[in-house]
Amino acid sequence: MTEFDPKITGIVKLLRRGREKHSHSLEQIEGKDHPRPIVLEPGETIIGRAPDCAIRLSSSRASRHHAALRLFGTECQLCDKESDNGVFLNGIKIHSAVLRDGDVIQLADTAFIYYED
Amino acid sequence: MAAFVKFWGTRGSIPTPASWTRVYGGNTACVEIRFDDTIFICDAGSGIRELGKDLLARVPPPRDIHLLITHTHWDHIQGFPFFAPVYGQDMRIHVYGRHENDHSIYRVLSGQMSSSYFPVSFKELSDSVVADHLNDGEKKIGGVLVRSFPLNHPGGCLGYSFESDGRKIVYLTDNELEIQDGDVFPDLDNSGPLRRVPEEFVKIARGADLLIIDSQYDETEYMKKIKWGHSCCFSCTDLAIQAKVKNLVLFHHDPESTDRAIDEMVQSCRDRGARHKSGMVISGAREGVEFKF
Repeated sequence: MTEFDPKITGIVKLLRRGREKHSHSLEQIEGKDHPRPIVLEPGETIIGRAPDCAIRLSSSRASRHHAALRLFGTECQLCDKESDNGVFLNGIKIHSAVLRDGDVIQLADTAFIYYED
Repeated sequence: MAAFVKFWGTRGSIPTPASWTRVYGGNTACVEIRFDDTIFICDAGSGIRELGKDLLARVPPPRDIHLLITHTHWDHIQGFPFFAPVYGQDMRIHVYGRHENDHSIYRVLSGQMSSSYFPVSFKELSDSVVADHLNDGEKKIGGVLVRSFPLNHPGGCLGYSFESDGRKIVYLTDNELEIQDGDVFPDLDNSGPLRRVPEEFVKIARGADLLIIDSQYDETEYMKKIKWGHSCCFSCTDLAIQAKVKNLVLFHHDPESTDRAIDEMVQSCRDRGARHKSGMVISGAREGVEFKF
């Protein structure tokens, strides 16, 4: 009896490859326009009040370019873009952070939950 | 001059990669403290590996790195052989002793790269690693006043404070704040008065923008680990309240602490702070998080 099934390695490889393709998303839970689901794409996504932002905030307390989400590989980093009113992660003011599933992001009067699958 | 503090390793004792440490992180102690272009690294636990990769990717790359080791227990030095900048020619890593001719830390870092422990010899690092020193425990480096101070830990340990342009960051691990006679311990329902803490620590931490402190245990766990050289989170909170610290980060998480357990520890310290009418912001050290002051 063989103790190694070569067919399985192909299945394992496919599953592992699938796992590397995380999907990352936000759900807006507070602020104008909520609820709003947002799928994040690889690269940099700017959040703010300015028309050129990929995720626009309606709040007057939001800066024009308030924060950036940088999705490279399997991790998503949140960065303050020198905003006036700061970026808060789970209630704590931060300059930048690598996000984890279930984190709550607050930007001015707007709040999002971050999800990764 | 703005100060940036980034956590690259937050765990104590041993690296703990696990699904239940994913939020706060499993790498051992390593914190980057940056005042504009002056970069300090506190401790070389396993978190320093990712920091090394990040430093090499920065444009322009930094020229000088100031490495301050608290003590040479494994969880504070084990990442050093994997710190990529030591193998290049572009950066100079200054390893500090407390005073001139104090090469004890430099010696241990090179010793852990002897062939019994690691395949690459310290001698192969060329001149990228430089033995440097504070002057009787303090020195101005890149406009930042760095002070070291002794801590209560088996075998000895140093804490560090960094001050520049009115900003003050204090790194205080590994340290045991011992329970004094008359203090309420264990304070299982979190109702006791502030504990007495050593005045010298209150003085060092006074008014700090950020205090990073070893708070490995909660009350229950500390009962089993007295004299192991680490503190319980309530004593740390009480120290920070008395020192009027602005932001407190609970650090050196126990390898057995799950993300949820750390969340609960942080919340209990926030409750304690609120009960004592402190406006201090309390959080748990989390890998990948950076603060600006």
